[in-house]
Amino acid sequence: MRIRFTGAIVALAGAAVVTLAVMPIAGQAPQGGRAGGRGAGAPAAPAAPAAQAARPAVARPARIAGHPNMNGIWQAMGSAYWNLEDHSASATQFWQLGAIGAIPAGQSVIVDPANGVIPYTPAALKQRDANRAGWPKSDPEAKCYMAGIPRSNYMPYPFQIVQGQKDILFVYEYASSNRIVHMSNHTEAPVDSWMGWSNGKWDGDTLAITVNGFNDSTWFDRSGNHHSESLTVEERYTMQGDNVLIYEATMTDPKTFTRPWKIRMPLYRRLEPNVQLLEFKCVEFSEELLYGDLKKK
Amino acid sequence: MRTPLTGALAAGLLVAGAVCVPSLRAQAPAPPPKSTLKTVPRTPWGDPDLQGIWSSDEEAGVPFERPMGQTKAKVDGMELEVLLEEREHQRVDTTAAIFGLTGGGPPHWYENWGRKSARTSIVVDPADGRVPPLTADAQKRQARRTNPMGSFGDGPFERPEDFSLYDRCITRGLPAVMFPAIYNNNTRIVQAPGYVALTHEMIHETRVIPLDGRPFSSGHLREYLGDARGSWDGDTLVIETRNFSDRTNYRGAGAHLQLMERFRRSHRGLRYEVTISDPHTFTRPWTAALNLTPGRGLFEYACHEGNYAMRNMLSAARAAETGKGAR
Repeated sequence: MRIRFTGAIVALAGAAVVTLAVMPIAGQAPQGGRAGGRGAGAPAAPAAPAAQAARPAVARPARIAGHPNMNGIWQAMGSAYWNLEDHSASATQFWQLGAIGAIPAGQSVIVDPANGVIPYTPAALKQRDANRAGWPKSDPEAKCYMAGIPRSNYMPYPFQIVQGQKDILFVYEYASSNRIVHMSNHTEAPVDSWMGWSNGKWDGDTLAITVNGFNDSTWFDRSGNHHSESLTVEERYTMQGDNVLIYEATMTDPKTFTRPWKIRMPLYRRLEPNVQLLEFKCVEFSEELLYGDLKKK
Repeated sequence: MRTPLTGALAAGLLVAGAVCVPSLRAQAPAPPPKSTLKTVPRTPWGDPDLQGIWSSDEEAGVPFERPMGQTKAKVDGMELEVLLEEREHQRVDTTAAIFGLTGGGPPHWYENWGRKSARTSIVVDPADGRVPPLTADAQKRQARRTNPMGSFGDGPFERPEDFSLYDRCITRGLPAVMFPAIYNNNTRIVQAPGYVALTHEMIHETRVIPLDGRPFSSGHLREYLGDARGSWDGDTLVIETRNFSDRTNYRGAGAHLQLMERFRRSHRGLRYEVTISDPHTFTRPWTAALNLTPGRGLFEYACHEGNYAMRNMLSAARAAETGKGAR
């Protein structure tokens, strides 16, 4: 039997050789063909595939299963992704980029407390300052780690809400991250995670989501604002007209904050014709930062 | 959250699954499959409802290509019992062997492998259940590739690019992401008016596919998972994907790869078929198929965030060069 099993292992290894073929193919030009893959400067619009040619565009119903239809590709504006609090324009260490490398000014998106400042405990404020001093290497975004909630919603990348009559899916362009919002069968998070565990319900026409089960490794922005694994985020999404989604999130984390605090901002529908989420698989952009010291010199 | 070892094993078993499995349909017109439902559930907006969590665990262990000497696409009776027993022996012994060598994890990691399938290959067309030969050009390209096995190969491991896209937690790629790997073989389907989204647990990728008849994006925009457009052919979801990045490599196919996937309800779950075309790589199009069954859950797969393997393997390679201990 031992011999036979060894054979199986050898077969497995052989299979590995065949299948693990993920290296680039040298010298292949972009493909011409039926729809995509036109050469540079080709003027014509690509033809739709035959199976779709006769299908009309899908209308967007105002409501789905009795609830507001929040389907769409959404994106925040402003510079909350740099810093949730009031901040003046400032330089970064990346002077080679000139003005491109500077941080734009921004007004606080914190609506409670009224001073627009995150109510840290003294120890947590020290940690925030240490995080900030170690930026960018200290920032999970620089490492292409999943950004957690609420940060994923106001990064400078779009995200898509996929809402049918059941659980609702949020798909983020950044890092291919995503999360499912359980609209029924609410359960506790089985284990901590980067994107947390989302249980949602309809509060009138507002989508209300409780997110917890976070680990302690995500941040709120590029300024070192942080939390512990005890964080609970209460999110509220409310349509304001067809193309604006008012987003509110209340953060509760007694290990980090002296009281709950709340942000509010509009999310805007991306209206370009044929807009779609694209890939931002940022692992490859983080590898020099993460592994560069171990490359062969 | 994988460790280097389990990552390597996962990749290996993925490969194994990908290489040793069977399936059914081809380009030739086929009679309607017996498993097709007369009525399928529908969404409130009238599309066939394919939503749910779907697992390919039941097909784990089925060889991707039909073994030489096996003439049947499917076996039954005593022949099936013998086949399943052989597969179970192989699985247990292979697991133990790899565990002993590289730390493939305890046997309960594989507990979801159903090993029930009576199929003898995942490939269903050509009729012999085997992937058609590569073109001469593709054979030359494959032969020129450096370190195609990633962490399974002998290196050299001088930089991250010397590892596979799976080792690096970038992507399993298409259509590989559909085929069973070591575990987490789940796909969640969520539908909305005009869209279908497929989330693949391994390694947390989501494809959001428009169903509104829009044209493909230009060939200048290339992505690891390509550009996909969907439509309904009766009760079957059809997804066509092209414009792949030339950094992908599925059995030798990259930028020229085109996929036609079909999903439909069956009595036990979903029937999945994918036809793989690339005249620059394969001497003819070919088709693989899976029977997907209801999955028990789908969780966040934080591959890159837990990727200690990359640092450890690079560190070990540097240590081997200097003769000093690993950092």
